[in-house]
Amino acid sequence: MSRRVHVATFDNGHELVAAARACRRRGLQIADAHTPHPVHGLEEALGLPRSRLPIVCFVGGFVGLTLGLAFQHWASAVDWPLNVGGKPFSSWPAFLPVAFEMTVLVAGLATAAALLLRSRLLPGTTPSSFEPRATDDRYVLIVQERDATLAAGELRALLLAHGALACREELSAEEVAT
Amino acid sequence: MVPELAVPRPSASQVPPMPPVPTVPTVDHEPLIGGGKTIAQVTRDVCAPIERGPTRLWYGAFAASSSALLLGVLCVAYQIATGIGTWGLNRTVGWAFDITNFVFWVGIGHAGTLISAVLLLLRQKWRTSINRSAEAMTIFAVICAGLFPVIHMGRPWLAFWVFPYPNARGSLWVNFRSPLLWDVFAIGTYFTISLVFWYVGLIPDLATLRDRAAGLRRRVFGLLSLGWNGSARTWARHEVACVLLAALATPLVVSVHSVVSTDFATSVVPGWHATIFPPYFVIGAIFSGFAMVLTLMLIARKVMRFEHYITAKHVGAMCRVLVFTGSIVGLAYLTELFTAWYSGNPYERFTFLNRAFGPMGWAYWVMVGCNVVAPQLLWFRRVRGDLRLVFLLSLVVNVGMWFERFVIIAGSLERDYLPSAWSGYRPTLVEVGTLVGSFGLFLSAFLLFCRWLPMLAIFELKGVLPTTSQPWRHGAQA
Amino acid sequence: MDGERREPLELPDELGLEAAPSRRSFLKLAGFGVATAALSACRRAPIEKAIPLLIRPEQIVPGKAYWLATTCGGCPAGCGALAKCRDGRPIKLEGNPVHPVNQGGLCAVGQAQVLSLYDARRLDGPRRGATRSSWEEIDREITAKLDEVRAIGGRVRLLTSTDSSPSTRASIAAFLRRFADGRHVVYDAVSCSALADSHAATHGVRALPRIRLERAKLVVSFDADFLGTWISPVEFTAARRTTRDSEKPQRFARHVQLEPRMTLTGAIADRRVRLAPWEIGPSVAELGRQLAARSGSGPALDLPKAIQLAPLEGPLAEPLARLAEELWKERGRAVVLCGANDLRVQKLVNWCNELIGGYGGVLDLAAPSQQRLGDDRALVELRQELADGKVGALIVAGCNPVYELPDGREFTEAVRRTPLVVACTSQDDETAELAHYVVPLPHFLEAWGDAEPIAGIVTFTQPAIPPLKEARTLRRTLAAWCGDARDDRALVETAYVELVAARRAAAAPSFEKALQGGFALVPAAPRAVEPFHSAALEPLPAVEPPPAGRLALVLESRVALPDGRHAHNPWLHELPDPITKIVWDHYATLAPATAVSLGLAQGDVVRIRADGAAPALELPVVVQPGQHEGVIAVALGYGRKGTDRFTSVGPRWLQSRPTVEPGQLVGVNAAPLLTFVDGALRSDARSVAIEKTGRRVDLACTQDHHTLAVPEHLAPEGGEVRDAVRTLSLAELVADPDHALEHAALEEAELWPDDHRNAGPRWGMAIDLARCTGCSGCVIGCQAENNVPVVGRDEVRRHREMHWLRIDRYWQGDPAGPRALHQPMMCQQCGHAPCESVCPVLATVHSKEGLNQQVYNRCVGTRYCANNCPYKVRRFNWFDYPHEEALENLALNPDVTVRSRGVMEKCSFCVQRILEAKLRAREEGRALADGDVQPACQQSCPAQAIVFGDLGDPNSRVSRLARSGRGYGVLEELNVKPAVRYLAAVFDAAEPRDGS
Repeated sequence: MSRRVHVATFDNGHELVAAARACRRRGLQIADAHTPHPVHGLEEALGLPRSRLPIVCFVGGFVGLTLGLAFQHWASAVDWPLNVGGKPFSSWPAFLPVAFEMTVLVAGLATAAALLLRSRLLPGTTPSSFEPRATDDRYVLIVQERDATLAAGELRALLLAHGALACREELSAEEVAT
Repeated sequence: MVPELAVPRPSASQVPPMPPVPTVPTVDHEPLIGGGKTIAQVTRDVCAPIERGPTRLWYGAFAASSSALLLGVLCVAYQIATGIGTWGLNRTVGWAFDITNFVFWVGIGHAGTLISAVLLLLRQKWRTSINRSAEAMTIFAVICAGLFPVIHMGRPWLAFWVFPYPNARGSLWVNFRSPLLWDVFAIGTYFTISLVFWYVGLIPDLATLRDRAAGLRRRVFGLLSLGWNGSARTWARHEVACVLLAALATPLVVSVHSVVSTDFATSVVPGWHATIFPPYFVIGAIFSGFAMVLTLMLIARKVMRFEHYITAKHVGAMCRVLVFTGSIVGLAYLTELFTAWYSGNPYERFTFLNRAFGPMGWAYWVMVGCNVVAPQLLWFRRVRGDLRLVFLLSLVVNVGMWFERFVIIAGSLERDYLPSAWSGYRPTLVEVGTLVGSFGLFLSAFLLFCRWLPMLAIFELKGVLPTTSQPWRHGAQA
Repeated sequence: MDGERREPLELPDELGLEAAPSRRSFLKLAGFGVATAALSACRRAPIEKAIPLLIRPEQIVPGKAYWLATTCGGCPAGCGALAKCRDGRPIKLEGNPVHPVNQGGLCAVGQAQVLSLYDARRLDGPRRGATRSSWEEIDREITAKLDEVRAIGGRVRLLTSTDSSPSTRASIAAFLRRFADGRHVVYDAVSCSALADSHAATHGVRALPRIRLERAKLVVSFDADFLGTWISPVEFTAARRTTRDSEKPQRFARHVQLEPRMTLTGAIADRRVRLAPWEIGPSVAELGRQLAARSGSGPALDLPKAIQLAPLEGPLAEPLARLAEELWKERGRAVVLCGANDLRVQKLVNWCNELIGGYGGVLDLAAPSQQRLGDDRALVELRQELADGKVGALIVAGCNPVYELPDGREFTEAVRRTPLVVACTSQDDETAELAHYVVPLPHFLEAWGDAEPIAGIVTFTQPAIPPLKEARTLRRTLAAWCGDARDDRALVETAYVELVAARRAAAAPSFEKALQGGFALVPAAPRAVEPFHSAALEPLPAVEPPPAGRLALVLESRVALPDGRHAHNPWLHELPDPITKIVWDHYATLAPATAVSLGLAQGDVVRIRADGAAPALELPVVVQPGQHEGVIAVALGYGRKGTDRFTSVGPRWLQSRPTVEPGQLVGVNAAPLLTFVDGALRSDARSVAIEKTGRRVDLACTQDHHTLAVPEHLAPEGGEVRDAVRTLSLAELVADPDHALEHAALEEAELWPDDHRNAGPRWGMAIDLARCTGCSGCVIGCQAENNVPVVGRDEVRRHREMHWLRIDRYWQGDPAGPRALHQPMMCQQCGHAPCESVCPVLATVHSKEGLNQQVYNRCVGTRYCANNCPYKVRRFNWFDYPHEEALENLALNPDVTVRSRGVMEKCSFCVQRILEAKLRAREEGRALADGDVQPACQQSCPAQAIVFGDLGDPNSRVSRLARSGRGYGVLEELNVKPAVRYLAAVFDAAEPRDGS
């Protein structure tokens, strides 16, 4: 099901953030904002939740560490115990470097994977873009139109007042994630 | 020392001639990015070389580097076809050029990670102009490095045996006690993480290119940019992910060269068996890495016309890093000598006397001259200001650091415990050709990178432009 | 992986091969084709079955070794050998432990003989001139010509080197008897003729006394290299070992060497005096004078007025006086030996020996040695006869006079003028070129034979392999020419039976029995040894030292190539010389002081000019500590025809240099500089002038640093000298045999709990440095046993020799008169092996029996293990070393892998022998006993310096030795726990010498 949205374009981040704040004060829901670079303060302006990537990272690291240690112990002490230079079969201090590398490896890959999947950044996906210059020098605010809490005209005025260069209505392609 | 870098002192001599910057709100120090660029200009400037196509200079450089690469390919092919005997090694000196090059290239790689990860964590804005290419450099350097452990094997076609893979030969695993195996994991992880980090950072810029391009190029960049649209949510996660990866890469970079150093530290060879090695190698790596970054940056800003983005400020900052790390390296050399003397171990003592005054003494003094003495010139502002001089010094340091590894490896092996087994080492043409080839590989890869990918992190530059960053601070407090 | 071989692929049926192949079947076939190509590319060379016979010849069990008792034919010393045969071919020669001559050991030359057997270039089939012919033809023609000679009563001369074979001598006698004037002339390239002649003069017996060194308490040797190259080195080394028994230090014998050059023997002497060749005679005379003075004048000793010796002045007087004192003290248990081939000097030596009761004690004339039968006088006469063209027929057998004798040109001309010249030889050598007929001689391993090296000891040779070449022994050739069609076995047997009968030796074993044991004791025919004729003594002519600017030339034999005979054997060329550690190269040695004064350095090529027609030699210089300043020494035996074959030895690549320049020979022939001085072939009677040529040669030396002391300018205080080799004075040892060595206190600090309990034995080795002479027999033994490749001169120059077992040689003491410390160095099989923990792929791990195993097919060749080996005993396969010579490959030991390129290898304690011994024990249903396992090095060691066994068993020989007061481990302070223990070298010197 498609929705109607208002797309406002700005030429700098500060005005975008201000506009976003204003819209939310008016109870409007911001669908999304597209910016050419991370704009500081935009998260709280849009009221985005804190990312859970750190948890993914930690879990990945923990898994890597345990697997690393366990496998080394199993391979050199259980499955194939050999006398190497008179060292014990399970010479754990010698296993630490590899265990550490495994920790970092798994954690890193997990984090990156989580980022891409969660943000649906996958090869072949066509970007849902309202403004081609959003990756260049335009800051785009997408305001979701709810059952007319605000007349279309007012919203437009509000946005222009906050320095939007242009403002138009569109049918957003996909369901906006909230 | 790094915070000190955060607020580089203003200085007339450092600023290269640039147009006045009226539009930019006045700030407490002159901006990182010269020429009063606007966001749009940044996009244009960085994308320009890619869209404009390469300059004649680029073609010249690429021709040179790729022919060096070809030479290397031929040498390696010949060596693999004929035998390691085509190298100058012998029963006593089992490693020389091969592992020297390996350690050298790994070291080069480190500065990239350091700049992109550590400086990110430390919120060093000046890194933005160089981190992208520094990371690229890391990846290419690690590729060069990874090459040598493989081709130095007597039977490189069996190199995959170093991986603990399930196999049909009954229980047959690898030796997790061997530093060489630690290397496999360390280098492997280092390469993977660096690559991921680099790519994640690239995605937004790839999107920028995509949106400017048309036709095939658009499709390619479209595929690579994974449908990036600059959504605020994605930006949020992207920033977190970058910080996390940086946080992982920082201990990683320390671990990698520590592990490399254990190849030597855990052995019984006098001159190798030293507890100081891990920190000594890490700092040496950073030292050599920064020297290489400097070399490349100074070339790139000329060749790619990035004078406004890679300013004297960046050069100055890196010079400070050089003189600092260079001094630590000097300290490490002294510590080594002291330890050898203080240990009272006749073999250790002999090894170091032999290093300095034995048959390979000349190499030792080249090393000291290039790594400890030469960088001290960078204390002088005038030297730091003269880019040609800085470029020269960066090369000198590269040479010196190569010799450091050579002295440690060949110089220690050549004369160890039993005098009857003492011997010398003389490289063969094949070895020299292989070394040249590795530089060819590195430079070719780097030039291709400059040609096809944004050399500067566009979105990060935009983030530190006066227009976007400075006023916002106040705004945030409001 | 390497061993894996694939079955030949067969075309699967399901590939529908219809007339018009469908697309599918075409693709199938295409894919199959690719697969086949790939697989066949992976496949290694097919296995040739060594024994394709369906009916197995008895005694040959495929894959099972059997032993044949035989006699080494490497030199006339006649050492008993056991030929180890596999699949019907000999693969190794070992000393026969019960043989009375060598008692178990075998020298490097002897062990290398198995390779000579498989020399593809040995002569094959008889030749007329240069053209191949048939036996019938040449026999017919030769006998015809001989008949002509007989008809006119012409002279027939048979020229051979020493051959003590009773059967051969019988056929020679039978052959010569048919001529009015037939004579058998014997000579040795390195002659001992004067020694025999002197006894003819002083004792009425022309023979070499058998030297029983085991009875000696004091040996004084004037330039006799009896442990290296003189007469019967293995026998003497075996005897010496009994006087160096670590159990009985009191029985240690003292050995004093007086010599101009550095010999293997002199290098390890308890005391060594340098003296010039021209000083040998006077010194011996002085010794005699002093001894006579002590003995007072007995009837035997009142000298003819002719030699009222004047006391000798000069620096030598003191040491000689001391020596005389010692000799006198050890009367009856002492002996004086002399290598000089000078009749007058040798007679004086006999006098000395008479005075100290050497005869009947150490020297045995009743059952003399026949290991050198050469008679230089006869040789000189023959040369005269040839020169005068008086010889009707010359038959040369088993020697190479054109190469071995001086002024070859005249000799060659003389030989050319001789109507009939027949050469019996195994190589197409310099003499064969001149011969009208060439009769190939077989290798001793493929023929029947016998020898009586020492009167009373008859020893046999039996074929270990069907003849590889069409050849015929001299014995049979001569018999054939006498119309006697019997084969070698029959001739040998008859000769033995007659011998037994003649000597009325009832106790002698039957022929069969004798063959089994390899030898028979047949008491020697009693000889009339007369009491000493003091009348025979003559005064010595005054010999002047060479004029200023000239040096005395000493032509010497080197251990690996005693004479030219074995110059075609690559193992011997690549064996590091025990003294100089140089391989492949031919060189001239100079004293350090001389080199300095002439402004020469190691490797500088000099031109050595002798006066007269003798050609100048151009050779690189080697600076040899301990050599007399007035002497330049050059080895004989180089520059042999056919050594140009070695061009192809070793790997070829971009920067490689051939072992021999194409068309060139290995070294130059120095024999032309030999001289005949009153009827004796002398090797030390010339003086030469030295000129620089300005050229330099990069000599191939396996050792770069030659002392245990590190270079002064790099020596840290406290670390000037390394103690890899420990030495003791006999005094110290006798004083406290159990704690002779002060050990650095090593407290047992273990980082790890040792969770590796040894199951079964803990293999270990003890090496007695007091016994080791550095003869290098073990090196070749190891090479033969373990298929160690020959890598060529250039690779050795690059320090890439492959020997698993090397002998480190360190000079100790001042460069003028140093002493050699020899140390056999192989994998120490460390308990905490540094090599093991660094290998990424577990290619080297520890066995339950304490062996440090190298797994070739798992090795990827990182060389990390070699870097981390403190002893640097690991060897890397830098290339695929050529194994093209199919015939030569028959010498390979099937029990040991031939390593491929890119893998590490090293001493394995001969693990294949350990397994073999275990199997044998199991078959016999018994436990492994001490001494069951003998690695190749231990087996071959003439000095029995190496003992292998179970260190876990406190009563094993090896444990007892390891515990002995002399035992220490090299670099034990590293706590790598080496399984090889060394027993400190012992020198009977007044002052203990430790360190530099």
